[in-house]
Amino acid sequence: MTESFVNIRSSQVRWLILITYLVGLIIDSMVLLYSSLEFLPPMTLIAVLYWSGHFLDRTYFVSAFLLGVLADTLYQTTLGAHALLYCLILFMMVRNRLQFRTYPTWQQAFIIGIYLLIYQALNTVFFSPVLDDGSFVPYWSMPAVGILIWPVLSTLLNKITQNHP
Amino acid sequence: MQFIIAFILAIVLMAADHYGQILGSVRSALLTTLTPIERAATFPQHIYHLITTDFTSINALERENQQLKTEILLLKAQQQQLVNLELQVERLESLLGTTGKITNQTVQIATITFYSSNPLSQFLTLNKGSLDKVKKQQTVIDSLGIMGQIIDLTPTTSRVLLLTDPDHQIPVRIQRTGQRGILNGTGHDHAQLGFIPVNSEIKVGDMLESSGLGGIFPAGYPVARITQIETQGDNPYFKITATPIAKLNQSHRVLIINREEAEDWRNDFDFDLDFNLKTDETEPAGNTQ
Repeated sequence: MTESFVNIRSSQVRWLILITYLVGLIIDSMVLLYSSLEFLPPMTLIAVLYWSGHFLDRTYFVSAFLLGVLADTLYQTTLGAHALLYCLILFMMVRNRLQFRTYPTWQQAFIIGIYLLIYQALNTVFFSPVLDDGSFVPYWSMPAVGILIWPVLSTLLNKITQNHP
Repeated sequence: MQFIIAFILAIVLMAADHYGQILGSVRSALLTTLTPIERAATFPQHIYHLITTDFTSINALERENQQLKTEILLLKAQQQQLVNLELQVERLESLLGTTGKITNQTVQIATITFYSSNPLSQFLTLNKGSLDKVKKQQTVIDSLGIMGQIIDLTPTTSRVLLLTDPDHQIPVRIQRTGQRGILNGTGHDHAQLGFIPVNSEIKVGDMLESSGLGGIFPAGYPVARITQIETQGDNPYFKITATPIAKLNQSHRVLIINREEAEDWRNDFDFDLDFNLKTDETEPAGNTQ
């Protein structure tokens, strides 16, 4: 993480944050449509984790709650269930974000992988998803895919944020 | 502090949604917010269809046209037989002195715009909403059988919970024997028939149709076909797996049955249908008159 990135305030990239949430929601909707994309992690959660890890002036609990409620509507689950999961995972992130910022990207990716694994485990307890032979492997490989996605996503967003006027 | 507030709010929201109906309008508002996002998610699919349709040859379209014309002809012939059957039923009803009658149902044709078949939920989104006078709990069918029921509405779209969703239950009866049971969705295009005792006469291939009990689904529509029957140790009930008759993942256009008409039809027709099925039962049909 570079110094120039750290010096930017979150309010300066508000539109970028909203765009990442919107893109995240579209990708999450696509995962519902195409069963071949089941291995993808919830991109809205990844986006919230990214912004909360990189800006210290806000905690992003409001964003996590609202995105969680939208995820509940999208997945047709009890309203508030995903909101609770999102807030729990974000809480873990916020508790350790000072340390998290000092880690190299690959190490950050592994921590994100652990958060996603916890999310998926809680998801299993909360919603008891029906996992047949075809969906068991994609479902549980989601945290590993999250590890692969994080470096690409964080590098891309770092670059966009740095170039933001 | 923010986490504690969000945590408590999420718990309250879950309790309110689970135990009450007060959040129905909130969910509808959220669904309306998500409608453009769902549309955006289907964009790659539309592009794919657009490209593949452009490459469809005229010959293929002519063939399809011919096939559809033949199908219409066959359906018209079948409809003529149905008209005869309707008259016969009317004559038999007048002989029996019952008031039941078959009425033509009104339906709305809708197109599927979004669907989900992930491990958490199985639903469809249709392009008809409250502005088109669609209401919650209306039954949705395709050309083969029942697909599910409408659970959420926005002004322009509606969401249909499929038969195979783990939260879905439908009262059914075995077409061959008339025995009643509850069909629960189990996800991944399958459902499970509950409350069928091990001494019941049931076999693989039996057709399940809606029984009309509960007042949500109209009676007599094909629902599923039994694919597997297992006994489980000392359990007094069979473990029965069924596959829906409707093409849940392939249908493009579906029919929404008008609820008022369906209820009238069920109230009128269920009595006689029960009468027919109960001929060897002890309770005479006349008791219900």
